[in-house]
Amino acid sequence: MIPLAYYIACSTALFLIGLYCLVMKRNMIRMLMALELMLNAVNLNFVALSSYHVSGMVHPLARVFTILSIGIGGCIIALAFVITIYAYRHYGTLDVRELRRLKH
Amino acid sequence: MFTPILDAMILLTVMTPVMGLISRKSKKVKVVKAYAMLAVIFALMLIPLYYDGVLTGDVILVVHGSSPPIGVSIAVDTFSIFMASISLIIGAVTIAFPVAEIEGGNITGYYTIMLAITSAMIGIVFSGDLFTLFIFWETMCISSYTLVAFRKERWEAIEASYKYLIMSATGSMILLFALSFLYGLAGTLNIAYLSTSLAEGVENPWMSIALLMLIVGFGLQAGMAPFHTWLPDAHMAAPSPVSAILSGVMVKTGIYGFIRVLMLIFASMYGSWHITLAAFAVLTMFIGNFMALLQDDIKRLLAFSTITNIGYILLGVSIGSYRAVAGSLFHVLNHAVLKALLFLCAGAFIYRGRTRSLMELAGIRRTMPITGTVFIIGTIALIGLPPLNFFWSELMIVTAALEAGLPYLSLLMILNVMLSSVYCLRLIQAIALREPTSISRRAKEAPVMMLIPILTLGLLCVLIGAYPVPFQAFAEAAAKVALDPKTYIEAVIPP
Repeated sequence: MIPLAYYIACSTALFLIGLYCLVMKRNMIRMLMALELMLNAVNLNFVALSSYHVSGMVHPLARVFTILSIGIGGCIIALAFVITIYAYRHYGTLDVRELRRLKH
Repeated sequence: MFTPILDAMILLTVMTPVMGLISRKSKKVKVVKAYAMLAVIFALMLIPLYYDGVLTGDVILVVHGSSPPIGVSIAVDTFSIFMASISLIIGAVTIAFPVAEIEGGNITGYYTIMLAITSAMIGIVFSGDLFTLFIFWETMCISSYTLVAFRKERWEAIEASYKYLIMSATGSMILLFALSFLYGLAGTLNIAYLSTSLAEGVENPWMSIALLMLIVGFGLQAGMAPFHTWLPDAHMAAPSPVSAILSGVMVKTGIYGFIRVLMLIFASMYGSWHITLAAFAVLTMFIGNFMALLQDDIKRLLAFSTITNIGYILLGVSIGSYRAVAGSLFHVLNHAVLKALLFLCAGAFIYRGRTRSLMELAGIRRTMPITGTVFIIGTIALIGLPPLNFFWSELMIVTAALEAGLPYLSLLMILNVMLSSVYCLRLIQAIALREPTSISRRAKEAPVMMLIPILTLGLLCVLIGAYPVPFQAFAEAAAKVALDPKTYIEAVIPP
């Protein structure tokens, strides 16, 4: 059996990659993909912890959490894409650096 | 299904599009608005009917499916009712305020989402386990992204909403990651069970990581300092009643999360979060105050003032004593009333003047005497002068810091209260004393439908200031329950 620490290291790495993409990438759609990556890291963490919490079986609670959080993630991303489409119509670009008019 | 008030709100929210259809068929736009207002007032009236016991310290527990460590649960105590009453009162007033900015737009959609955000906030404060809290949290966040982007034909709404969405969704993901670690440590997300099983885990490094992530996650929604940048943009771009509900109650759900999680689950780690949170609070105050000095946009200025006040509230939470938390909760109530009032007044100015710039709105009190006067009273309250409501809660936080032996914190807070009077005086000077510009000369008094919510909130403001005892007692009862995990745990875990 693979030790739990490997799973946690993997999900933390995935989460940090998502955070890195979110901070460094300039494309609006890539930023949304980074958000989705972070959500998947969390789901992986939930599932991994659930199967190690009780030895020999899987704790059912985390499955419920994971399914619901996938649903919530879908809602956020759908809304985010709607806003991205409107942003593209207003600004004519997907470069997030162009969305800086409010600062002035 | 859950508990009467939450059931009623969810059902009434789902029914709103039907009413919208009726109002469209009968060509009466007012129907759906009247319906939304009645829905919130109905939910508000359910509080004394069903939660009499809760007001005196009981806890109502509603369980679904299997019993608490596994199943979903709703737990209502005095603290929850305190926050829910604030959400409902501010919700009712902001729904009553006419949204001139979206005239001819999707009115039904607007009221549906306003009801959805109000019911989601009630769901957050009523949930007994952290995952239910998270689901309602996301419902609230998604509703507020939509409300900020509601005037989708304007670039500023879309830009603010995108910025807000990215920041807030990241915060939610960090929160969920922290929840997954808490789940791994305890095998449940029920708040009472987490509280008992993690009470000894002070030495565990995962606890510290989860704590830090929870502070970031809740702090992002509350507008805490390094993560506050979404707040002024979102408040500025949203229609005025939406700014009022965002600033009045939505950022306070972050405070609710802080108090609930820190006092129940991480109470044994007080030493590790107390200084961190105090540092964040002081930073928040200073950033809010200094940025507010530089603004010309009236709504942006008020948004930065919201950040400052979040700093005061967080300072009270970070002190963690009974009087400090009571002061914080009292300030939550006062700030909700006052900031909703100021944003609604600003909405009336913008409706008549068609501009948000303070330079162009100068002297508008002469042509809009009632709104202008109420706005001035609100600004005086914001300075913290004695006969008005802010004075009492700020005094409570400052004296609590002294009592707790942290005089430097109360000194920093007094310094910030003085700093904030600078931009308040600037607001008064601009609105009342300066020579009217051509825009403010052309303005007329706001319509009656706008004046009713403004005057209601203004009266409430003066009432709390003149007779603070019952409101203060309610906040103190809520703080007592929030700080005493024993009753909460006993209600959820059968002995």
